[in-house]
Amino acid sequence: MSTEIEYTKPLPTIEPETEEYWKAAKRHELFLQRCNACGEVIHFPRVMCYRCLSEDLGWFKSTGIGSVYSFTIIHQVAHLGFESEVPYVYAIIDLDDGARMISNVVNIDPSAVEVGMRVQVTFDDVTPEISIPKFEPIS
Amino acid sequence: MSIKGKAAIVGYGETEFLKRNPGDRSNYTEYCRAAKLAIEDAGLTKDDIDGLISIYPLDEEPTWTEDLQEYLQLHPRFLDNVYRGGASGNAAILYGAAALAGGLCNNILIVAGSVMDPKRIYEFGLETGTAFERDFDSIYGPMFNNSAYAMIKRRYMHEFNATDDQFAHVVINARYHASKFPNALLKKQVTVDDVLDSRLICDPLHLFEIVMPCVGGCALVMTTAERAKDTKNSPVYLLGGGQQFDRGLWNPAYGYERSLTTSPVKLAAKYAFEMSGLGITDMDFVELYDCYTITVVISLEDIGWCEKGEGAAYVEETDLTYKGDMPLNTDGGQLGRGQPNPGIHLMHSIEAARQLMGRAGDLQVEGATFGLSNGNGGSMADQCTLIFGNEIP
Ligand SMILES: [Zn+2]
Repeated sequence: MSTEIEYTKPLPTIEPETEEYWKAAKRHELFLQRCNACGEVIHFPRVMCYRCLSEDLGWFKSTGIGSVYSFTIIHQVAHLGFESEVPYVYAIIDLDDGARMISNVVNIDPSAVEVGMRVQVTFDDVTPEISIPKFEPIS
Repeated sequence: MSIKGKAAIVGYGETEFLKRNPGDRSNYTEYCRAAKLAIEDAGLTKDDIDGLISIYPLDEEPTWTEDLQEYLQLHPRFLDNVYRGGASGNAAILYGAAALAGGLCNNILIVAGSVMDPKRIYEFGLETGTAFERDFDSIYGPMFNNSAYAMIKRRYMHEFNATDDQFAHVVINARYHASKFPNALLKKQVTVDDVLDSRLICDPLHLFEIVMPCVGGCALVMTTAERAKDTKNSPVYLLGGGQQFDRGLWNPAYGYERSLTTSPVKLAAKYAFEMSGLGITDMDFVELYDCYTITVVISLEDIGWCEKGEGAAYVEETDLTYKGDMPLNTDGGQLGRGQPNPGIHLMHSIEAARQLMGRAGDLQVEGATFGLSNGNGGSMADQCTLIFGNEIP
């Protein structure tokens, strides 16, 4: 018999414009939007391109590879759900595909994380519905 | 048409800052008491006030300004509610000056305050982020502005080989001024080691590099330049103002390959200098929004006091005290006084007025004629730079 541990951290809400993103994440694929009018790569998902204001946006699967642009090691939490995680790495990742996103760098001692470190996406299956993209050093 | 020199600060007031609400302070006590002090300081009566801008407390609704108007039975013909994060106070002054210059009112009261419990501020962040912030940021456990500025500092240190020791000098200067400023909460002076020994909240930000939320209220009264000739205090003219909004309010991951180490202060300050006709060497002091040490370093660079990447060395090597080469945050700033967050962010411009009226006592910058104040909100997203003078050049 397995005991399900309740997930106490914030969860995303699925909105019409973010549904594809979370469906892909469930399949362990990182999806980004690309504007069909101007080619801009867009993250987080939107209904409109912020560069040319076109609504003709499509999805593509990111390689999930990028670099740590910056990061912090969090020692004191705002949301109590993260208290058991400290210290943990909260970071800005610049994906090679041309998007910037917030994430966590995991599967590494926080003190070993560096700006510019190459990372790849990994998925944390936090509930039966939601898998959250995080990043780990490229193996 | 420019609003340069068309409006002036003629009075200000601040309630006593407190670390915690003893129970008898409320948003109404802070807003009303600060307002009364400012009106009296200006030598005016309540009925002279025909303009009102407030920066609403985060634990109230945006209709707060109208509530306040009703509570004090004011009867303004100009009323607005401004929220631009930490740039709110300066933005309110700029809009207030525009309203005065445009003939929309004659005497405007600008007021802000807070009694919010620090823990409540983080809860507030969790509850009120936009959907995209919750969905693409909060799931990763941010500590809101602390984690955003920690990432800005980390990137800065990486790009420019800056050290924690250098950043500590911002705190040392703040505490030095606070030790001499009556209404300051962090009067104990510190050394580099004290700062680096304070605990890491969001590495590389130490506790002493982060503002301490507190209870307090601030207000000021502005009037037209014509009316200011006859007021009790010597007028402090608004000579220049500029704003720039960019980046995310909370979420610092804004735009691919965008720099986190050059901020919108650059444009806000440029617009302010252009309006004033003055340059950086004309400034006798500077009051910078100092929610974190890194904010001060980047703002100094982007305003133009030093080159990009030299700010950390600049704060280490420059005498930033009121009697030094470049007086910075002469009341102790938020790092020395405490931050009655949110919305209180009038304190930097009030200190500019205090200096330019010659009322700064032990901390008076000798012969101060022109000074700059910068308001900063979000993750260095909202900027409003103001230039004041006790004469119109
Ligand atoms: Zn486009």
